[in-house]
Amino acid sequence: MANYSTSQFKNGMKLMLDGNPCSIVNNEIVKPGKGQAFNRVKFKDLITGKSLIKTFKSGESLEGADVMELDMQYLYNDGSAWNFMDPETFEQYAIDDSAMDDARGYLVEQDMCTVVLWNDNPISVTPPNHVMLEVVDTDPGLKGDTAGTGGKPATMNTGVVVQVPLFISIGEIVKVDTRTNEYAGRS
Amino acid sequence: MTELEKKAVLFKKIRAFFDAQDLLEVQTPSLLNTPTTDVYIDSIVVATNQAIGLKKQQYLHTSPELEMKKLLAQGSGDIYQICPVFRDNEVGERNFNEFTLLEYYRINFDIHRLMADLSALLHHLGFEDKTVKMSYAQAFSQFTNIDILNTDFESLKRIALTHGLSIEFEWIEDLQMFLFVHLVEPCLKDIPICFIYDYPSEQSALARIEGRIAHRFELYLSGVEVGNGYDELQDSSSYQQVFAHENAKRQQLNKPFFDLDVEFLACLETPLPPCSGVAIGIERLASQLITT
Repeated sequence: MANYSTSQFKNGMKLMLDGNPCSIVNNEIVKPGKGQAFNRVKFKDLITGKSLIKTFKSGESLEGADVMELDMQYLYNDGSAWNFMDPETFEQYAIDDSAMDDARGYLVEQDMCTVVLWNDNPISVTPPNHVMLEVVDTDPGLKGDTAGTGGKPATMNTGVVVQVPLFISIGEIVKVDTRTNEYAGRS
Repeated sequence: MTELEKKAVLFKKIRAFFDAQDLLEVQTPSLLNTPTTDVYIDSIVVATNQAIGLKKQQYLHTSPELEMKKLLAQGSGDIYQICPVFRDNEVGERNFNEFTLLEYYRINFDIHRLMADLSALLHHLGFEDKTVKMSYAQAFSQFTNIDILNTDFESLKRIALTHGLSIEFEWIEDLQMFLFVHLVEPCLKDIPICFIYDYPSEQSALARIEGRIAHRFELYLSGVEVGNGYDELQDSSSYQQVFAHENAKRQQLNKPFFDLDVEFLACLETPLPPCSGVAIGIERLASQLITT
């Protein structure tokens, strides 16, 4: 991959930092009144998801990271890996559980997800913003309570626990916002 | 209020503050024959009088400092100036080729008296928070555990390496600033008004040195560097030494270097009175005023 110098840094650019692929979140030029210019850069580590700040002398460069974002369809879990397919090439990817993070709680077969590949290896999976999940366990619903005041925890078929309104009962399909893990309505 | 009106009110308030203390507002030339020798500040070069056969290379001032010091040497007394300044190769969120400086000098003030005066100006302009003062060494020990005045170049490089930072620096002062920007500045974000004072002697610029310390300060508003002040050097030979040193550093970095400003040095054969001065970036100050 090509090297990129600080003057080429842009938000969203994928670069290698200490051996990990990272994405630039923010690039701030700091020029002390009596000193040379620096770039204070906020990165997101694409593998761990952690953010970190590093400062560079202006003119320093970093190697670009061979990172691609692809839309892929989730097929099935075979017990050892999560299997996805690129709908354009029909190529299948078996993604290790360690790359799944929070995504595993929202994967519904046939749903389209965003998969980040680094050197052709999947490193992270982002589910759709909203998914439809089935409630498999929750306290009994309260008749007549339709206002949705308060709430109760409900376990979904994927294992994730979501706070739902009191009137929701076992077996119902609910819409969940995967970014906030919040109930977003009934099907 | 529109942005234009806000700026007009800001200028009025600044002038009222200084007028009440009998400072003289001055205007000095911005088109100069000699560029700055400051290692990391580049003058914008302009070609003048070409069409009339009197071609001359001139420079836009990067700060009114030297021209104002000529006035001080001639006995002007306390003076202030608000003017646009120009710097080449400065582009960023907070850096521009042209910006406005407020620069002022107070006779017989040391930096602590000047910081108190500047603090009063900030409160006069509408800042409400209390002022925090911290020496450069205190800031380093509080936020990083580095004993900055007693750590040599090699040891500082080892510290930079542990933070995964570059160690490609020619001089210790540049690495000190790098570590300050990376480790200390982000911690100043939560302090609305902060003065950092007593810089390591290597970063003296045009400030008076006493032992390991240069009597210099910087003003940070919520972590943004807004001003830079000195207990000023007084005599011609001290300035000549600094300019020659800066030129040597420019040469080492393969940057253009220049003849010394002989007119300025001649003018300071009558030394400056003991005084302190400070330069404040008006746009940065204004942006902090609006967000507070």
